[in-house]
Amino acid sequence: MANLQLKALRKSFGDVEILHGIELEIQDGEFIVFVGPSGCGKSTLLRCIAGLEEITSGELFIGGQPMNEVPPSKRGIAMVFQSYALYPHMTVAENMAFGLKLAGVSKTESTAAVLRAAQILQIEPLLDRRPKALSGGQRQRVAIGRAIVRKPGVFLFDEPLSNLDAGLRVQMRVELTRLHKDLATTMVYVTHDQVEAMTLANRIVVINQGRIEQVGAPLELYHHPANRFVAGFIGSPKMNFLPCALVSATEAGARVRLEDGTVLSAGADARGLAEGTPLTLGIRPERLLADMVMGEGTAKTSVIVAEHLGDTVFLYVQSPGGTGQLTVKAQPENPLRTGDETHLHFPAKHCLLFGPDDQTLPRLS
Amino acid sequence: MAIVIDKSQRWRLLAAHAFLILLCALVIFPLVMVVSISLRPGNFATGTLIPETISLEHWRFALGIPSPGPDGQMIKPDLPVLLWLWNSVKVATISATLALFLSTTAAYAFARMKFVGKKAALLGLMLMQMFPTVLALIAIHAIFSRIGHVFPLFGVDSHWALVLAYSGGIALHIWTIKGFYETIPAEIEEAATVDGATPWQAFWRVLLPMALPILMVIFLLAFIGAIIEYPQASILLRSQDKLTLAAGMKQFLYPQKYLWGDFAAAAILSGLPISIVFILAQRWMISGLTSGANKG
Repeated sequence: MANLQLKALRKSFGDVEILHGIELEIQDGEFIVFVGPSGCGKSTLLRCIAGLEEITSGELFIGGQPMNEVPPSKRGIAMVFQSYALYPHMTVAENMAFGLKLAGVSKTESTAAVLRAAQILQIEPLLDRRPKALSGGQRQRVAIGRAIVRKPGVFLFDEPLSNLDAGLRVQMRVELTRLHKDLATTMVYVTHDQVEAMTLANRIVVINQGRIEQVGAPLELYHHPANRFVAGFIGSPKMNFLPCALVSATEAGARVRLEDGTVLSAGADARGLAEGTPLTLGIRPERLLADMVMGEGTAKTSVIVAEHLGDTVFLYVQSPGGTGQLTVKAQPENPLRTGDETHLHFPAKHCLLFGPDDQTLPRLS
Repeated sequence: MAIVIDKSQRWRLLAAHAFLILLCALVIFPLVMVVSISLRPGNFATGTLIPETISLEHWRFALGIPSPGPDGQMIKPDLPVLLWLWNSVKVATISATLALFLSTTAAYAFARMKFVGKKAALLGLMLMQMFPTVLALIAIHAIFSRIGHVFPLFGVDSHWALVLAYSGGIALHIWTIKGFYETIPAEIEEAATVDGATPWQAFWRVLLPMALPILMVIFLLAFIGAIIEYPQASILLRSQDKLTLAAGMKQFLYPQKYLWGDFAAAAILSGLPISIVFILAQRWMISGLTSGANKG
């Protein structure tokens, strides 16, 4: 049981600064997910918390204790590595008991702890096997078991599911959620997969280029992204972005002109910005409507490809007046086919506007 | 299972086999030759491959078994071949163990730790190994002669001097082991560190067990190197009873008399410890010790 505090944490490798002052508080018992593109510094941040990397400047507190100078084994943490990092020359039971053995825990006590962890993860029949004789999913469980046995205050997971196949990943995701409920221990989880982040986290920390972009509950990030990066990173398929220019802004909303000249309204507060300011309009694929008929504020375009998935249809349409493409997530009844002409409808209250600095303009609805 | 084979393939197969058999014959020939010489009466380097009469006189000599002289009296061989063999095994075992210990720990530092001058040190080690030891023979003799004034145990004509000299030539071993360590994911040791292991425990209990095959190879190489080494042994050892087999065997060959038969028997003897160590070490030279650590 422990909370974490990161204060202006910086990390440099030589002259290159990877983390630029991370400020974060993690509550006791929370499931926190660090998410971001590869190379954004999320794994480095986790390794700083684990003590596998020295912190260049700033402070780290675990359970209220300053931890900058404390070695990994004394931080009250346990870590699950992306590659599992099991000891290949030891059996599953020995793997799990290794930490306790080093700590000088008595044999009976450690055997009991290993058995308990094995029960939680349902790997009791595997205890006498070597890692070589296990499947990927089983190895992953052993790696988690090795972490549980240590009874840490904080669990650290470094992309633990990225080596598993899709089906197993979904299964392990559910088990991790269950494990978190059972153990009620603080968990910090790193992933580049926003689906994992959305499904596992109490709170998500979106990191980009060594900076925290936004911290919040999964749905908060989904519906109220702080900036264009978060809006584009969270959600699958990705949010559609269209360049546009401000026509007028009132307290009722903003009117913007798309590249093809279509003028439409968005439920965002753009007052204070000059007319003609270049903005970006963002709308999620499930909110964008593709119709056969024209209407008020619709933009005419054509369907590049229609993908039928049974329960939904993904329509990839030409961006009106632009070269890019937009994604529309439509109902299976939608009659549009590849090559058809269509009129895009942008419901005002689902349109986000991003200013010239890529920050989200305040929403009105 | 069986892949359909073109007819021309048969001739290629035949040719390949013929080539391989020829190659084997070429490799085995010197060995057969030496065995033949050791079993031939008299000391002749040339003769038929299969001796017409078999005589054990050279083997009696090499094994120190008295044989009847011209006057019928039993004569004890004048050179202590078995003692030399024992000296060789002793020096080789101790120096190979020492070399293994030094090179595994040094390689660990080079592979996993960060320190100033790492690159220069690695390169320096390599460069120094490039020069044949023979070039430094005089220096080595001078150094050990000087050491002997202060620590007689390590002076000239002591086995410990030889052990020390042999244990120094580990640059190549360090490079080899370092290369092997680098194939082992650092995450495993990091996991051990998080589990509470000190750097030494991570090295000793996690890394070394995985590196066992390469350690065996290095031990074997160091052991063979020490058994067959001649130049340093010949200048650092002087007394008859201290010589290693490689150094001692020189005494069979002098301009007035070439004792080819005795030499051949002793040469086969010197191959025995190497073969035994190889057979023992082979048990651990297995692949796949690290499999299962990662996703696989």
